[in-house]
Amino acid sequence: MSLPGGGLPELDPVIHAQARLRVVTALSTIPEGDQISFPRLRDILGMTGGNLSVHLGKLEDAGYVEIAKTHKGRTPVTYLALTRRGRLAFDDYTTAIRALLDAAGPGPAGGPPTGNGSSEMGQST
Amino acid sequence: MRAVEGDDDERVLSPEDSLRLINDQRAEMNRRLGLNPLLFYVPWGVAWFVGFGAFFLRHGLSGEPYVDLSRGASLTVLLVSIGVALAFTGYAGWRQGHHVRGESQDRGAMYGLTWSAAYITMSFVASRFVRHLPPDEADLLWASLSIWVVSIMLMAGGAVWRLRAMFAGGAAIAVVNAAGVAAGPGWHALLMSVVVGGGYIVAALVLRRRMAKA
Repeated sequence: MSLPGGGLPELDPVIHAQARLRVVTALSTIPEGDQISFPRLRDILGMTGGNLSVHLGKLEDAGYVEIAKTHKGRTPVTYLALTRRGRLAFDDYTTAIRALLDAAGPGPAGGPPTGNGSSEMGQST
Repeated sequence: MRAVEGDDDERVLSPEDSLRLINDQRAEMNRRLGLNPLLFYVPWGVAWFVGFGAFFLRHGLSGEPYVDLSRGASLTVLLVSIGVALAFTGYAGWRQGHHVRGESQDRGAMYGLTWSAAYITMSFVASRFVRHLPPDEADLLWASLSIWVVSIMLMAGGAVWRLRAMFAGGAAIAVVNAAGVAAGPGWHALLMSVVVGGGYIVAALVLRRRMAKA
């Protein structure tokens, strides 16, 4: 993550785009071992199905997301989850963001951080 | 790290905006997928308040009824209240877990089955003994065993999901239940109605307010 010589960290270009950052952040709140249905994630994110599919495809190509297609009765259902690699990448990303903000010095723009990564995002069920 | 123009989806955010987006998205997910305390706890708070309130009015604190309610009428009020609460929480649980599958769903299903198993087996045990008791004592046995199951299941739920408030609530109910049994049927009904029922409603409002602030 850090540049040689202790420079500023680079941000993962797969995650560091607005729409995919929202997708990865949302999936990071789903506990490991669980999967969320495609329609539910689409509704929460307020994206169109086609748009979400495009970004999921890019995340799947990077090995960050697993997509499971199954059936509920006769209806096809797609379930989504971050892979372990995806969780690690997101943890690295949030760490890099904090390092960049720390390097830039204290400022009001970012607001107080609320956690160090997806591992802190326990979700009550 | 400058934001670049182009497709909004592919827009690269500043670190500040990225962090803000992450925090906002996490809060949104917790709001949309987390347990809604108003749906889970208020129906039960109202059920205990109304149901045990009827028994309190029937028993009175000193054994003299405050209202002339038959045993059957009190029981009907309590069972109807519980039935409504069950329907609410059943719907809320289905709605919450409907779109997520995996370990959480398995854990929730087993926890739900444990509630049923606890109540059914407790009923078998209690029904063997209540026939030997006077009506007021029989009512107290049913009520205290039912609330005891509630308290233990809340503590178990708190342990499974690491929810300290749920665990502490279960422990508090266990203590209040035991104190009520020692004090007698009228006091037990009053404590279950006001302290447990009211406590559920207050806890739901506090938890909801905390979620809204998060």
